[in-house]
Amino acid sequence: MLETLLTMQQRLDASPHLLRLGKLFCETVLIEVEDLSFYLQFRDGHLVSITPGPSAKTPWRFALRTDKAALAAFWEPVPRPGFHDIFGLVKIGRGRIDGDILALVKNLRFFKEFMALGRPATGEEKPA
Amino acid sequence: MTFEPIEGGYLHVTVAGRAQRIYVEMAGEGRPVLCLHTAGADTRQWRHILNDADLTGSHRFFAFDMPWHGKSLPPQGFETEEYLLTTEAYIETVLAVADALSLDRPILAGCSMGGRIALQIAALHPERFSGFIAIEASDFQPAWYDIDWFHRPDAHGGEMGAALVSTNISPYAPPADRWATLWMFMQSGPGVFRGDLSFYTKDASLIDRLAMIDTSRTPVHLLVGAYDLTCTPDDARRTADAIAGATLTVMPELGHFPMSEHPQAFRPYFNDALKRMGEGAGHLRERPRP
Repeated sequence: MLETLLTMQQRLDASPHLLRLGKLFCETVLIEVEDLSFYLQFRDGHLVSITPGPSAKTPWRFALRTDKAALAAFWEPVPRPGFHDIFGLVKIGRGRIDGDILALVKNLRFFKEFMALGRPATGEEKPA
Repeated sequence: MTFEPIEGGYLHVTVAGRAQRIYVEMAGEGRPVLCLHTAGADTRQWRHILNDADLTGSHRFFAFDMPWHGKSLPPQGFETEEYLLTTEAYIETVLAVADALSLDRPILAGCSMGGRIALQIAALHPERFSGFIAIEASDFQPAWYDIDWFHRPDAHGGEMGAALVSTNISPYAPPADRWATLWMFMQSGPGVFRGDLSFYTKDASLIDRLAMIDTSRTPVHLLVGAYDLTCTPDDARRTADAIAGATLTVMPELGHFPMSEHPQAFRPYFNDALKRMGEGAGHLRERPRP
C-alpha cells in the first residue's frame, strides 16, 4: 500500500490541474486500512509526507477508513458498483469517513481524484 | 452552417399563482414524450435523445427547464426567498407545461427527482399521460449526505454538488459525457440543488401512493443504473415491486444520469422503454412551435 501511495504522490506532482484544484488544501488526512494506517500531509495541493501510523500524537482533519479488499477493488481499473468512489465505499458499508467532513466536501473533487490516482493508467500494470 | 434539429422557446405559465417563464426544447415527429431533468441540472441532460434521428423519427420530445434551472429564471421576488421545491409545486409545473404545449396524453419520462414525480403523477393524474418511464426513480430515499453542504457562503455549492454526484456516475461513462454532465451541476444556481434535494430526500408520500398506479391503463417502466448509489437497483426493484404490472430494467454499466453520462449505452434501454409504452393515445392537439 505504501508503494501505491508513493506512486500517487508522484502522479499528483505530475497533474497540474490537481495542483491547481488543491492549491488551498493544507490538511493532514488519515488513511486507515485494517492494521495499516498512514498520515498524508498535504501542503498547497502537494502530498509532502506519508507517515505510517498509528500515532496518537498526529492530528488529522478527516479520515478514510476501509478494508484491504475494498481498497484493492477501489483501485481496480474499472471498479465494480460501490467500489468506484470513496462515498460509494461508505454507501455499501465498506468504508467510513470521520472527522471534519465539510473540509473533505469543500475539497471533494481534489481528494476524489487524488484517491483515484492509485488506479493503473490505461495500458499500465496495476501499482502494488 | 448546420444546426442541431432541436428547437427552443419560452412558455409563460402560472404555477401556484405565480408567473413562470419556462424554457422548452423540442425535436422530432410523432408520439409526444415530455422529459424531466434531475435535481440540480437542466434540459441539456436530454440533448442526446433529442438529437437521436431514430428516436425522433417516431416521437416528438419535449424537455423543459424547471423554474430556477437552466434558462428558466426564478420567479419575480426570488432574491428574498429560500428555494424549496415541493411535490405539489413540481406536479403543478409539469401539468401546466403539458397544457401550455397542448399535449394530449404524452408519455412522461423523468430521471431521478423527475422519475419520482413521474410516479407521483402516475398515481394522482394518470388520465393526463399515456405511459410513464421512471429513470433512476424510487419511492423514497433519505439523504446520505447533508443537503446544507450545497448552499453556504464559504464554498462553491455547484462545485461541491458536482463532486458529490460524481459518486453516481459509472466508470464506463466516456470522459466528455461525464464532464458535460457534471458541468450542469457546477452551473446550478445558488441553493437550487439543495432546494431540489429538500423535497427529494424528505417527502415520502409516494410510498403509500404506488398501489394507486394502474398499469393496465398506463404502462410504467423503470430503468436503473447499477452504478447509481442514490437510487440503487434495490431501491428501484422495491419500487417496481410495489406497482402491480410495472417492469424494470437494470442497466449494468450506467449510473444516475444515464441519458447524459453515457448516451450511447442508454439509447437502447430508452428505446426499449418507449416500445413498452403501448400504442398509446398520445398525440398533439396541435403541433407546438417555438
